[in-house]
Amino acid sequence: MAAQPKKIIIDTDPGIDDAMAIFVALRSPEVEVIGLTTIYGNVYTTLATTNALHLLEVAGRTDIPVAEGSHVSITLEDKLVLASGTYMGKSIREFRRDPLIFLQKKKGLNLSITKKLRIADFVHGKDGLGNQNFPPPKGKPIEQSAAKFLIEQAKLYPGKVTVVALGPLTNIALAIQQDPAFSKNIGQIVLLGGAFFANIFGDPDAADIVFTSGADVVAVGINVTHQVVFTDADREKLSRSDGKFAQYLCKILDVFCLDVGVYLHDPATILAAVDPSLMTYTEGVVRVQTSGITKGLTILYNKQKRFGEVTEWTDKPTVKVAVTADAPALVKLVMERLMDS
Amino acid sequence: MDYLTTNGDEEGVMIVENAQIDAVLGFHANSHREKLLIDTDPGIDDAMAIFMAFQSPELEILGLTTIFGNTSTEIATQNALRLCEIAGFSGIPVAEGSAGPLKGGIPRVADFIHGSDGLGNTYLPPAKAKKSEKSASEFLVEKVSEYPGEVSILALGPLTNLALAIKRDSSFASKVKRLVILGGAFFALGNVNPAAEANIYGDPEAADVVFTSGANIAVVGINITTQVMFTDDDLLELRQSKGKYCKILCEMCQFYRDWHVKSDGVHGVFLHDPVSFVALVRPDLFTFKKGVVRVETQGICAGHTLLDQGLKKWGSSNPWTECSPVSVAWTVNVKGVLDYIRKLLMKP
Repeated sequence: MAAQPKKIIIDTDPGIDDAMAIFVALRSPEVEVIGLTTIYGNVYTTLATTNALHLLEVAGRTDIPVAEGSHVSITLEDKLVLASGTYMGKSIREFRRDPLIFLQKKKGLNLSITKKLRIADFVHGKDGLGNQNFPPPKGKPIEQSAAKFLIEQAKLYPGKVTVVALGPLTNIALAIQQDPAFSKNIGQIVLLGGAFFANIFGDPDAADIVFTSGADVVAVGINVTHQVVFTDADREKLSRSDGKFAQYLCKILDVFCLDVGVYLHDPATILAAVDPSLMTYTEGVVRVQTSGITKGLTILYNKQKRFGEVTEWTDKPTVKVAVTADAPALVKLVMERLMDS
Repeated sequence: MDYLTTNGDEEGVMIVENAQIDAVLGFHANSHREKLLIDTDPGIDDAMAIFMAFQSPELEILGLTTIFGNTSTEIATQNALRLCEIAGFSGIPVAEGSAGPLKGGIPRVADFIHGSDGLGNTYLPPAKAKKSEKSASEFLVEKVSEYPGEVSILALGPLTNLALAIKRDSSFASKVKRLVILGGAFFALGNVNPAAEANIYGDPEAADVVFTSGANIAVVGINITTQVMFTDDDLLELRQSKGKYCKILCEMCQFYRDWHVKSDGVHGVFLHDPVSFVALVRPDLFTFKKGVVRVETQGICAGHTLLDQGLKKWGSSNPWTECSPVSVAWTVNVKGVLDYIRKLLMKP
């Protein structure tokens, strides 16, 4: 008897490699995508929501709900709630239309927020999907916030839901903070980040909350995803495929090409949820530096060494960290899933 | 007839018979001894490195400056004076350094590793000689300015004195011939906590000043020094040798060795300071990677050393982009370094 597909929620900031990852997940019988939650990162959260809805329409899967997530890092979210009573109320529409203008207009909030929302549009193109200017999606996000949606689904299927986090970890940290049972209810959190990765840098406070939450966390770092490269030859093969995902992706991949081919950060992370045996893992305490020039730095302590004094790593819950990946198998699987669509 | 041709500027070309080469090299070494200052927190492995320096006729030790770390600065000064006296070099100036880190506060002292006297609870009699009237940073600036481009510095503790010298004299960094630093952990866990190594953790602000000063720097981290150790057998061999300082070093090492067993499950001692000394006199036994090193001064990772290897082009400027690179020891010829340390310490 085939195992029940694993329920997954993808927390995402699409993003071209997010798009790839979402398509791979939708084509993987091992998992059942029960929702997308959105976050800033490659693009602002508002655009991430639009893109998520758009990608589900391309895939013909408008049955999957999209819940919009936080627009700002967790410490800023706290400040905003404190500083602006209306933030959660009627001015949220104005905020969502253009967070930067909204924040600049707000008195007492001119704390160079523009700099704090670190958006990687120099990599992904202005709309996050290679400047294709697709028509706006017809669908709408659900009323629930991403954090609330995560909490509810985890409660509904305790121990059964895996969150795959492809962006900054703000939504997950909010869920942990808003519901003390979340880290117990959630089956697993598979996240992309570590080793100065932009996702951790985007909200280091949230990342530290997630890493030390006691949930079953698997971190896939850049040291692993850097081994997983999509070459020009792979791309050509993809472009010859009739699969609709393959065709769509080739169109948006145009702006995304770096000299060395494309790193499959997000698809590799999805596959860590789909087939954990494609990677090997070590276990230890991970803490995140939240200030200073190395803000976002993750340090793994695997307890092989003892220290004379109590440290910030002492007695904290451990997480799993991917150390190696079967890169050829991962690329092959991504190709198979995308071409067979 | 064989010829030896040097490429030195001053000597010109010397033509000698093969048999005389050694003699000529010996003479050459004596007349152009490398000037060296040692900034140190003795410290058991500091004592080893200092004795090794005294056993090296090709070096001219201009003085020692002291700092907290393995022990307090005050005890470090007493120990430096004692070690000079034991070695028969009591005329060498010892200048006392800063009692604490740049930002103030109580210095972190690792007396649980080096004993309450800093020298493995061997309680040596006090030295007769007195410390210099000058402060360490004053002395460093004075010596380096006296011989610009000729003085190398071996820094074995937290970098407070060096940072103060850089602040005192803006041309200090450019006048130092070579600064070899024991400190940091590069792509490896620290030894104070997972993020930080003890010397850098002792004064992160000072370390960042020094690493970004533009001086000609080679840094040897614990990722290198923990590859080089004396096992219990090596210590026994040392004790039984005719080496000039072996008996006293082995006595000091007992405490140090017992801590290693407790802390790392290692039956022996790491040779942090001796390895750094070798990196100064025999850089050919190491390979180095060049890049900008910055030190975190805040948060849970304070004291973390981060090297930008220049492998990645960054989307925007960051705290690394505008700084001068340093050489970071990357690999070590373990056997070569061990042989060199043994040879010097076992020399009668």
